[in-house]
Amino acid sequence: MVFNTLTFLAFFAIVLVLHSLPLPWTIRKVNLLLASYVFYAAWNPPFILLLWISTIVDWYAAQGLVRADRPATRRAWMLLSVIANLGMLLYFKYGTFLLDNFTALMATLGLHYQAPKSDIILPVGISFYTFATMSYTLDVYLRRALPARSFLDYALFVTFFPHLVAGPIMRPTELVPQFETPRRASRQQLCFGLGLMTLGLFNKVVLADTFLAGAAERVFDRGQAPGLLDAWTGTLAFSAQIFCDFAGYSTTAIGTALCLGFAMPDNFRFPYAAIGFSDFWRRWHITLSSWLRDYLYIPLGGNRHGPLRTHIALMTTMLLGGLWHGANWTFVVWGGLHGSYLIAERRLRAAFANYRPGLLGLFGLALLTYFLINITWVFFRAKDFQTAWMVLRGMAGLNAAAEPIVPTPFIVSTGVVVTALVATHWAMRERTLESMLARVPAPVIACAWGLMAFAIVISQGSGNAFIYFQF
Amino acid sequence: MRSSISSSSADQGQSPRLTASDRPGVAQPVPVRDIPQQPWARILLGALLLLVAATGAWEWYWRAYGAVPSYRDDDALWARQRRRIDAGEGSATVLVGSSRTLFDIQLPVWERLSGRRPIQLALDGTSPASFVEDLAADPKFTGRLLIGIAPDLFFSGFEYQRSALPYYRKESPSQRVGKVLSMHLIEPWFAFYDPDFALMTVLRRQPWPERAGLNRMSVRQLEVMDADRNDHMWSKVVTDAAYRQMARNIWAQDFDGPPETDAEKAEDQRVLDAQIERTAAAVAKLRARGVTVVFVRDPSAGAYLAFENKYFPRAATWDVLLAKSGVPGIHFQDYPELQGYDLPEWSHMTQESADRYTTALYNIIAKRVPPTDGSRW
Repeated sequence: MVFNTLTFLAFFAIVLVLHSLPLPWTIRKVNLLLASYVFYAAWNPPFILLLWISTIVDWYAAQGLVRADRPATRRAWMLLSVIANLGMLLYFKYGTFLLDNFTALMATLGLHYQAPKSDIILPVGISFYTFATMSYTLDVYLRRALPARSFLDYALFVTFFPHLVAGPIMRPTELVPQFETPRRASRQQLCFGLGLMTLGLFNKVVLADTFLAGAAERVFDRGQAPGLLDAWTGTLAFSAQIFCDFAGYSTTAIGTALCLGFAMPDNFRFPYAAIGFSDFWRRWHITLSSWLRDYLYIPLGGNRHGPLRTHIALMTTMLLGGLWHGANWTFVVWGGLHGSYLIAERRLRAAFANYRPGLLGLFGLALLTYFLINITWVFFRAKDFQTAWMVLRGMAGLNAAAEPIVPTPFIVSTGVVVTALVATHWAMRERTLESMLARVPAPVIACAWGLMAFAIVISQGSGNAFIYFQF
Repeated sequence: MRSSISSSSADQGQSPRLTASDRPGVAQPVPVRDIPQQPWARILLGALLLLVAATGAWEWYWRAYGAVPSYRDDDALWARQRRRIDAGEGSATVLVGSSRTLFDIQLPVWERLSGRRPIQLALDGTSPASFVEDLAADPKFTGRLLIGIAPDLFFSGFEYQRSALPYYRKESPSQRVGKVLSMHLIEPWFAFYDPDFALMTVLRRQPWPERAGLNRMSVRQLEVMDADRNDHMWSKVVTDAAYRQMARNIWAQDFDGPPETDAEKAEDQRVLDAQIERTAAAVAKLRARGVTVVFVRDPSAGAYLAFENKYFPRAATWDVLLAKSGVPGIHFQDYPELQGYDLPEWSHMTQESADRYTTALYNIIAKRVPPTDGSRW
């Protein structure tokens, strides 16, 4: 079920009513669990089996971890969880990719190998709930957390529909304790939660789908070489689209949970105001970047074993982070670019440790950061390297005889939205949405809210799936 | 114990609240969400009032423009009709084709004449070849099949709504429920809910400076659709001369292109041959199963007909299709009773004409192509 559909509105209304009934807390949690299964099954009912497998394996693995005395036994339980989860992820997400690459490798060695035709369907959200449930056993293994006391609380943590398919990627310590005591949203929380949902859907339906997607699709999907203006319009449009789409999803998810009385973590913190790439990754998809840091980068040695090991750990983390987004070498290059940026930034910081830029310098560095991030988005958005190089050539002004691709209204809408978005990120760089809203007169908020809702209605979105669902 | 959701004063949140990015290598605590101190219930009420007022004004604007509520002819609506065959109506008369089959054949008239309402599977701007193949591959379909032929679409293989078939095959329960809700809560009530009146579509129609080669006009709203995809021409096309002329101008964009190279002509011929071959093969499969099939060339007029005659001459297209498939065909030019109707924008009939045309067409088909199993069309 997608947030920006009538089906979800009806579903959510029913869930809200059920959750507000004067029923015992356990019954209300069971309602939420069943609702979450319905939410997931509404895409493809058989895939709910994968959720159950993941849930049960990690529940028993965590129990085994607690009971085990010997380190080897503990490691075995941890590995069982990791192999089971990553095994499913590998098969469903990377099976075809691995087979294709194996076939290509054989061909380069002069061996003819034809892989059997596979028709593997990617279960929605598998990358997200796999990481969420793995963090449960890994936290127990790393002795950061105790296992959940109740299977119901744990199952609800894995399945809770606001975060199930596209995050924010929750840790058990963030959510399980919230299920231990009865929760119901106050009127303030309910209203503010609805406001966040409207803001999230406005980002998705109006900004991402209506004003930005058209330019990005024309430049990246038509196989036509873009000129300078078109290439930059398409890339900037996508940079704003992916933010509005994904941050829109996260905001809607946070608002949805808030309406039910639960708190979910921030996933974005105005990332296009980032100065440098370590700053960017503290602002972009925070729950993924921190997951990769805690369960991959730090175990690989982090920054504890000298510059070389740090660089290797950084690059490995970013390459795998790129691959997490999709089974395509373009995502690996995207991750590799970010890894290179982070390494270069570390070296520059070490070399210019005493450099303290002024406001203009900071602005220049922020612009440079945004420019380099846009380069990475080309690889993220392009379906293949041919398209990526074609767009990059256009951005460099090297597609001399290029015909116009993007109609004027899309250029204008992209220019307006991107400018407004980057300006907003700068204005909000050191603030939160909540601190800003606390200072705005109530009638202004009401007008903005009403107009956003109106824009959603007249945009007539067709329920396009969020971009991150494919990951 | 601090609640994870708290009301904040205006002073709180000056520095961003901590996130997982600020806490490396530790168990993450329950997140804290601040609720800004504002009268949120009153704000929500104000926002709702504004939403209702603005939406009402928007609806009034489009009603004044002449729009009326219409069921949205999307993939989900098509899939609902296609599923009727799966649900036990496989012996029905099925109509495939393009927009002329939609506009010109009126299901209530057909039902009055035959006693059964056909299943309407024609799609705007789309060659029916893929859909004929789909029906040929479905043993549950054993009824009668009318295939509408719009030359420029059928023989070019153009499929504007090609997504309908994959959507029908992969439609999720969520999508199906969404369409049911939309058909009850939105589509019958709101005239503005139409792709032609969507925000970006309206913005794109404004007089922006044009870029070379990107000034092509998109097809505008021409029809009003019922829940079972019975369709008729929107009255504005009939009554508004400027709108009608605009519709003609949009068609005319395709009438005169630069002369084709020999390679382009050869490619066009290859596509044309392929369309005929695949359709003939699918029709043979259907007929072997006892399905009665007829091709219908609905009327066109004016510059549109001249364009079709020039680029898709009957002898090189329609006649070849009939010869290769061995299926009877009804061409409007062969029957006086199928001529003389009102086609305001040269391609589709007014509703009044469509009613009369359906009667005439039904009578001809019933007489010329009686079903092999003795049933009625």
